Amino acid sequence: MSAVAPNQAASPPSEAAGGVHVRGLEHRFGANQALHPTTLQIPPGGVVGLLGPNGSGKSTLMRLLTGLVPLQRGEITVDGVRLTGDGLSIRRRTTYAPGELHLYGEMRGEEHLRFLLRGRSGADLERARSVAGELELPLKRRIREYSHGMKRQLLFAAAIAPTVRVRILDEISEGLDPAKRSQVLDLIDADAARGTTILLSSHHLGEVDRSCQRLVFLNAGRVVADESSEEVRRRAGRLVRLRFAPGALTHSSAAALEGPGVESVEEAADRVNIMLSSDDPREFLGRLAAASDLPAPVSVEHGRISLGELYRTLYGVEGT
Amino acid sequence: MFKGSRGYIIYGLGFFVVLEIMLVAAIYWWPTFEQNIPSIKAIAAPIAMLSDLVDQVDQFGVSGYIVGQHFFKGCSALGTAAAVLFAANAVAGEAHRGTMEIWLARPVSRLRLMSERWFGGLLVVIGPVFATSVTVPALLGMFDKTMDMSDLMRCSVHMSAFLAAIYAVSFLWSCHSSEPMRISFVMLFISVMIFALYLVEGVTHYSLYRLVEIKVFMRIITKDAMNWTLLAPMLACTAAAYGLSVRAFLKRVP
Repeated sequence: MSAVAPNQAASPPSEAAGGVHVRGLEHRFGANQALHPTTLQIPPGGVVGLLGPNGSGKSTLMRLLTGLVPLQRGEITVDGVRLTGDGLSIRRRTTYAPGELHLYGEMRGEEHLRFLLRGRSGADLERARSVAGELELPLKRRIREYSHGMKRQLLFAAAIAPTVRVRILDEISEGLDPAKRSQVLDLIDADAARGTTILLSSHHLGEVDRSCQRLVFLNAGRVVADESSEEVRRRAGRLVRLRFAPGALTHSSAAALEGPGVESVEEAADRVNIMLSSDDPREFLGRLAAASDLPAPVSVEHGRISLGELYRTLYGVEGT
Repeated sequence: MFKGSRGYIIYGLGFFVVLEIMLVAAIYWWPTFEQNIPSIKAIAAPIAMLSDLVDQVDQFGVSGYIVGQHFFKGCSALGTAAAVLFAANAVAGEAHRGTMEIWLARPVSRLRLMSERWFGGLLVVIGPVFATSVTVPALLGMFDKTMDMSDLMRCSVHMSAFLAAIYAVSFLWSCHSSEPMRISFVMLFISVMIFALYLVEGVTHYSLYRLVEIKVFMRIITKDAMNWTLLAPMLACTAAAYGLSVRAFLKRVP
């Protein structure tokens, strides 16, 4: 029988190694409330997408998790360790790739990798070199000669190489061409398959669809939704979008669409988004056909709405 | 810009070379200066403070000349500039370039990161003061003159404490700012102004450069002891500014 350390035994199972747990976390920058009281429980393993428009608090949350922004209120536990002081104990157990892309231009790639991996093992550095090699990064060239995408890949190589249970990747594929983006996502997927927890923020909704098992939506410093990607896909199958001729739609006519089998109706200019309570639209379409006081729609869409459009429709999340 | 220990070595070496060139030039000029002291005194006579400086060199001979040229002029003027530039760039420079986040995101404690930079920069500023002072006896040997090494080391400690205080105050500001250029300009402007005050009769006693004038160094040499009345406040100022810098740095947001 293996011995269990007393502090581990005392921790609830949800705060076991490899998870990320946030309770009542909030943060202010002066008068600006960057993060309203937030609670998140991310169990070990898998890729969790952090989505939201610019200024929604994604980067602040990620910086708080690594102790880069001093904790003001709330509790953070990452990989079974509670954040205290400057967060060193958490930074030892995680890797973080910042979204802001500012590197030391005068350093060579190899030197910069060593800089980024200070405090890690020699094996971690060796793995980072190997990842950089896979990504065909010219480590002998100075960073000032690197393209935007190359700089991003260097940060990624330094973040994916160390042996840790949790990685926090902010906009990690921003600025990459489709081939490199796919390569980076393959490495993330492979890492997650080994049991690593990856918190990924992105504006690229395609990569979120592909890699994330769970999606956390932030807006104006608040978590507005936290659901599995499966659930989001199911919701995409329940959305009907009607488009009308300009000026044809009135508020009262849109209200006529409400009724049995309809969860919500949302008007936006000449469009109406209807969330059904099931993925069978026949009952609703029948009612639509019978609604004589409603102008004839120019188009009716159901079942082929992309997740990107769904995110935009539901949460105001912008992306490509 | 050079980073890490290589950067400290390169900049320290650069500062050493500049100081040494000034020292060699000053010592090379000593025989001519000595011969012309009466004429120089006559030229300096209308400016009381300048006249006082020449009188002190005349009184103390080559030792007065060396501490005046090397410590009061070379180290304090160039050293102030080096101290301000290094400290201003140390933290505010990272914020200005946007590299603070990758600097802080590594698994290294903030106290260690800041202390490494603080002491590394300080070493670049004060190391060359000691290194150039060590060469003084050999250079004076060219003219059959000499100075005691222990005197030179005591003077170097005093000079370094002065520069450390300027460095520490600039570093403290750097910990609160993202604009290294502003810190540099303001600190250098204030330094030049305070140096200029030294030469103005009536307000000369308000100049901080009174702490590193020829008389102070000659007192250290003649008494064979540090001037703790002046040294202790400078060290206390440095320690206090270091403590406040740590506090500010631990709270710093990238």
